[in-house]
Amino acid sequence: MAYSFTQIEKDKTRTIGFVFSFLVGFYFLSILFIVLLVSNFVQFQVAANSHSSSFHFIFLDFAKTGMVFGAALIIGFCHWQYTTTTLISKIIKVLQAEPLDPKDTYHQVFQNIIEEVSVATGGQKMQGVVLPTMAMNAFAIADFKGQAIIGVTEGMLARLSRAQLEAVVGHEAAHIVSGDSLITSVTTSLFEMYSGMLEGIAHVLKSTTQASSRGRGRGSGGILVLLVLIYCLLSITKLMSQLLRMFLSREKHYRADAVAVRLTRDPLSLAEALYAIVHHWRGAGLPAEELEAIFIVNPAFLDRDEKTGLLADLFSTHPPLQRRLQILLNMAHSDIQIVVNKVKNMKQKPRVAVPEAKVNSTQWMVNKEGQWQGPFDIVQMMSFGWVQPETWIQRVGGGEASVQMAYQDKDVGVQIAKGKVDGGGVGRDQCPKCRTTLNTVIYEGLEIQKCHCCQGVLLYEKDVQKIIVRQEVGFSPRIVKIAEGVKKESNMIRKGAARGQPRMDAKSLYDCPECTDFKRKMLRVFYSDLYRIEIDKCLYCKRMWFDKDELEILQCLIEDKVNQQRK
Amino acid sequence: MFFLYFLLLIPLLLLKKGVDMIVVWVILGVILLTAFWGIGIYNGLVQLRENVKNGWSQIDVQLKRRHDLIPNLVETAKGYMKHENSTLEGVIKARQQAVDASGFKDKQEAENFLSGTLRSLFAVTENYPDLKADRQMMQVHEELTSTENKITFARQYYNDEVNRLNTAVQSFPDNVIAGNFNFKKEEFFEIEDPAEKSVPKVKF
Repeated sequence: MAYSFTQIEKDKTRTIGFVFSFLVGFYFLSILFIVLLVSNFVQFQVAANSHSSSFHFIFLDFAKTGMVFGAALIIGFCHWQYTTTTLISKIIKVLQAEPLDPKDTYHQVFQNIIEEVSVATGGQKMQGVVLPTMAMNAFAIADFKGQAIIGVTEGMLARLSRAQLEAVVGHEAAHIVSGDSLITSVTTSLFEMYSGMLEGIAHVLKSTTQASSRGRGRGSGGILVLLVLIYCLLSITKLMSQLLRMFLSREKHYRADAVAVRLTRDPLSLAEALYAIVHHWRGAGLPAEELEAIFIVNPAFLDRDEKTGLLADLFSTHPPLQRRLQILLNMAHSDIQIVVNKVKNMKQKPRVAVPEAKVNSTQWMVNKEGQWQGPFDIVQMMSFGWVQPETWIQRVGGGEASVQMAYQDKDVGVQIAKGKVDGGGVGRDQCPKCRTTLNTVIYEGLEIQKCHCCQGVLLYEKDVQKIIVRQEVGFSPRIVKIAEGVKKESNMIRKGAARGQPRMDAKSLYDCPECTDFKRKMLRVFYSDLYRIEIDKCLYCKRMWFDKDELEILQCLIEDKVNQQRK
Repeated sequence: MFFLYFLLLIPLLLLKKGVDMIVVWVILGVILLTAFWGIGIYNGLVQLRENVKNGWSQIDVQLKRRHDLIPNLVETAKGYMKHENSTLEGVIKARQQAVDASGFKDKQEAENFLSGTLRSLFAVTENYPDLKADRQMMQVHEELTSTENKITFARQYYNDEVNRLNTAVQSFPDNVIAGNFNFKKEEFFEIEDPAEKSVPKVKF
């Protein structure tokens, strides 16, 4: 290892010591400023009252300065302790990261990759989290207790191959092992606790100024001045955090790239991953504005990141990507064209088309009050409500011999019996349409519940977003055609030419299969105004019901949209 | 070992012979400095040796994990691959050999052989789309891929550490300390890829 552990430790201690003294210095200067201001102000008042013109500017003597320094040290230490102990939980909260779901196959792979890289580092403990967004980025944070966290976005999990993801995790692990991560996490979150206060005061300021402009709050002038003062002080803290960021060297990313290559021995995959990240949405606009330094690629696209020179070196947290790619490609003895082609081909990777499910094709004629009606399939029959166990039915194509009562038929009988037991309501985990028990199936790496009878699916709202990002499943021509139809229709609705509301009469609403105890109904809405697909949604347990094909159509519509935008 | 203690006597001897006090102090200082330096080197070597040990135990853990996974794999594959009994049996045999192997060299050979048979098994599974789509198979496959990667990484880490230890043990001045305190060179865990190694037979 070129970069030995003792050297890393030394480096780390030096930077951390520096950051700490910066903090103490900051408090020292601000307390000194306030003390000087107050004491001089008091003296000025006294001088003004006694009408003597002997006003001198007071400086503090040595003992008092020492006291100020002591106070600064104590406050600085408390601040430091507060920041370092709550570091990880706070950053995770800001980023809205979620722990891994052990049932999700994508998350399983991510967990495995983290463990693999951990072996490569010689046993560094790391934990994975996921940011539920379509953006592509990854980050690492660590604290003094040795807890380390690697996070990636859902977009990353969906779009990168295993090797590429491994390279990215390698890069993040390199940050953790080399201690960069600790420094970056501490520095970026040091003044973070003030930004919340800043926002709060800005809010109060706004409302006070509005009130006083209306001529009511005359007495609030003093408070206003005070607030403006505090606002200014807090703005200084924001400036400080900007300044502190200057000390985070952008060079560390080169080093982490190099260590990642040493860990995974795969420079090409890392180059591919970087290229893929740059050519997607990297997460600009996510609530991570202040935390850019912990990410593999700056979420915001900044011009200065791509520049070299003193100014760029000072203010930029990430090195020019072009140069990073160049270094990696040199290591791999490869050139950019190969990477470009690889990433392009990945976009068009052949996807597994969902096999068209066999529809339950058996149909029945039903005898309603002496009249034969039909043919109906089982779903329709169950939705009538008037089919009783004693109703005469006949299997279509079954001949005279198949005329029997509903409870005698082996398929219908089961369904009818279920309906009876539940008193007509939908039981737990039962299809709200045909009341058969829902099966758990794996779709795009997620466990969802599917009715084998009507092919409808039940899933959580947050899972829908994951499914939209993932591109494992392809679409049959039939789905694509329907999707086109839906698109046309929604265009017409937007122009006001067609009916714009989903069918919503109390009878056709489904019961929520989860909230059976409360007998809640699911609300029928469009997925969104842009994607007018009727779905049923329970507002309490956040579950969604998609009828047959509707989920695929939604995916197809959204992907189509994304592709169009890219063109 | 013991001559180190005699080194401490040198200043005393010098003092008795009436050499200047300052010179004695200087010599004593040099000796102490050298001793501390030596202790530093010794500790560094111990650290390296521990790293190597740690690396080896990592490999061992992953190899055991692979042994545990293989019966699962074979059981899953059996249902789909009726005509590939010989491949499956080969994997089972290779696994048994690897489990039974003791000693560094034996283990290395058996594990490399097992890797080879596994690779051929996965090559064969390509012909069975049903098997590839099977959920359990997918899971076992992912687990095994992960374990294989871990073995690769563990071996890589181990070899890196062995390399550092071996370099240290052979280079001056560490080799003096290493020789006195019985630090030895360690062996690399080498991979023998049968595909790369096999030499085509030439017939005339």
